[in-house]
Amino acid sequence: MRYVVVGLHAAGRSACQWLRRADPACEIVGVDPSAGSLYARPLISYVLDGELPEHALVKDSAPFFENLGVQLKRAAAVGLDANRKRLILDSGEELAYDKLLAATGSAPRRVRLEGDGADHVCYFRGQADLARILAHVKSGGVAAVLGGGLVGFKLTHGLVARGMKVKLMVTSPRPLALNVDEYVGSWAGARFKEMDGVHLMTSTSVVRADVHGQGLRLTLDDGSTEDVDLVVAGKGVVPRFAWLAEAGPETDQGLLVDNRLMTSVEDVYAAGDAVQASDIVHERPLLNAIWPNAVEQGRVAALNMAAKGPAQGPAYAGSIAMNAIPIFGTHMVSVGMVNPRYTEGCEFITTTCHRGSYLNIVIRDGVIVGAVGLSAVPRLGELAHAVRTRMKVSRIPARWLKNPRNAAPLAGNTPWYKGSRVGA
Amino acid sequence: MQHKTVIVRPELCVGCMQCAIRCAQAHSATKELATAVFEPVLAKPRIHIGVGVNPQGVLKPFPNKCRHCDPAPCQEACMPGAIRSDIAEGSKVVDPALCIGCGMCAMACPYYAIRYHHDLHAPERTITAIKCDNCHDRQKKGQIPACVEACKTGALEFGYVNEHIKKGAGRLANAAWSMQS
Ligand SMILES: Cc1cc2nc3c(=O)[nH]c(=O)nc-3n(C[C@H](O)[C@H](O)[C@H](O)COP(=O)(O)OP(=O)(O)OC[C@H]3O[C@@H](n4cnc5c(N)ncnc54)[C@H](O)[C@@H]3O)c2cc1C
Repeated sequence: MRYVVVGLHAAGRSACQWLRRADPACEIVGVDPSAGSLYARPLISYVLDGELPEHALVKDSAPFFENLGVQLKRAAAVGLDANRKRLILDSGEELAYDKLLAATGSAPRRVRLEGDGADHVCYFRGQADLARILAHVKSGGVAAVLGGGLVGFKLTHGLVARGMKVKLMVTSPRPLALNVDEYVGSWAGARFKEMDGVHLMTSTSVVRADVHGQGLRLTLDDGSTEDVDLVVAGKGVVPRFAWLAEAGPETDQGLLVDNRLMTSVEDVYAAGDAVQASDIVHERPLLNAIWPNAVEQGRVAALNMAAKGPAQGPAYAGSIAMNAIPIFGTHMVSVGMVNPRYTEGCEFITTTCHRGSYLNIVIRDGVIVGAVGLSAVPRLGELAHAVRTRMKVSRIPARWLKNPRNAAPLAGNTPWYKGSRVGA
Repeated sequence: MQHKTVIVRPELCVGCMQCAIRCAQAHSATKELATAVFEPVLAKPRIHIGVGVNPQGVLKPFPNKCRHCDPAPCQEACMPGAIRSDIAEGSKVVDPALCIGCGMCAMACPYYAIRYHHDLHAPERTITAIKCDNCHDRQKKGQIPACVEACKTGALEFGYVNEHIKKGAGRLANAAWSMQS
């Protein structure tokens, strides 16, 4: 059996590990132009803010893949011939496969600007982007960060830590409009307003960038201009799957998959940021481009790829939005449905605890559908479990809410992985 | 392969908290209670006594710790790969040198088994993830996990899950599964 895994980051690496575990004798070929380096892309923000030394980011990938017996091809996939079961690489080589995993992730959403400076906009996705930004960082200089999501947040923090003044330009009326509720969004906005070196500009977009001396001159939608040394955009991501478009898989914003994570093309599975899997809360395919989803999908896809005959691997329960980021000395966390755009008509249970911690549980039709909080991380894990298992709010004992620090966990001894355990 | 693990029987717990104290002691620098409490970075317990309610509505202590799941959701969420399976077989162990304290693992853990504290093994970081490591250091020396050694009521046992289930499947299932916070 020959498995080909295209894309070797969070999803692809997880799949390689589980393919090997499920099928010790199989042949695994990993395809990725950046196959030689092993790192986790979210950590680039920890390097930018100086918390992690640059040399600690990237390791040589050879021991990892050798240990798993994965044969590496440092090339990009450019086409898929599903009838002949061949993957076509940019080197011109064709690779035969029995089962293939598409784990090519996502690319930063490009900002469309007028002007000759448009190509100078940086993005923040991988080690090459980090290097490009670091080359432009100038202590005492001015940077514009476009986008008030989590990546915009991390960029702002990092650039300020590097001594730059940051203009954080957000299209929405408040930062984190999509990620958290109004309370936490406003809290974060207020912290940014107090923060030295940050100028938060809400309801603002950039329309034009022109080269201006050593830097750039940005024109905003109200006609005003800003001169900056560096522009970095964090405006979300776009799934990357153009290379297999010819094979005709069903797609929406990302690759669509069934509950075994197979695309509509026979024997072609998909996992990670490239996939638009069914969202547990919204009950329809949605992009939830986060690390834990990618790793879990890599595992579930691998176990289904390796399942023999009529046997099937575990069903994929669905993806979920969740995030935790350390910020302003606390953790800001969210899970499930918290965006005020979707939570209209929902009920809320809000608890504030000592030292400014905050927890807001979102309930729809008696079922927990989301939670958002500040410095309440461990309890958010239980609530994430509650969201995944569609727990009824009536199952949350009053004393849990009264004293979340000391209550026994909501999940008790229920195993979380029902049915997904293999050969432990 | 089966590994010995800490088996929790909440119905036998009286909430004395000896397990938590001995756990912190075992994870301190000096390993002695009298000196551990004066260490500059205070060791923290990795087992916690929560308050649960039994099916009769009576408040009951609930010893809560990492279950070392496999596959483990915390490990799948850990971006720097700090939750390792290769330090002690059968255990998921946080490598403080790799942990960045981002919070993703606790978000993924349904059991409230991961906390964040200043850790003596990563003094340069303000916080790292702290959770049960099955006392793999002690086990190497032929000792059993500190919490089990401390437990006088049999609420914590060290053994094979399968054998334990054989001993009293019904007893265990009833006690463990009907527990709510
Ligand atoms: C700055 C930053 C911070 C983040 N923070 C968090 C966080 O705190 N929590 C969280 O959960 N998530 C976070 N994320 C998101 C997380 O990194 C992604 O969800 C995760 O990397 C997705 O993994 P993936 O394997 O699906 O895809 P990717 O990581 O995008 O990897 C895709 C791989 O495919 C390869 N590839 C692409 N095209 C081809 C081709 N044609 N042929 C062969 N190979 C190809 C690429 O080289 C790459 O190695 C963050 C991301 C960034 C950039």
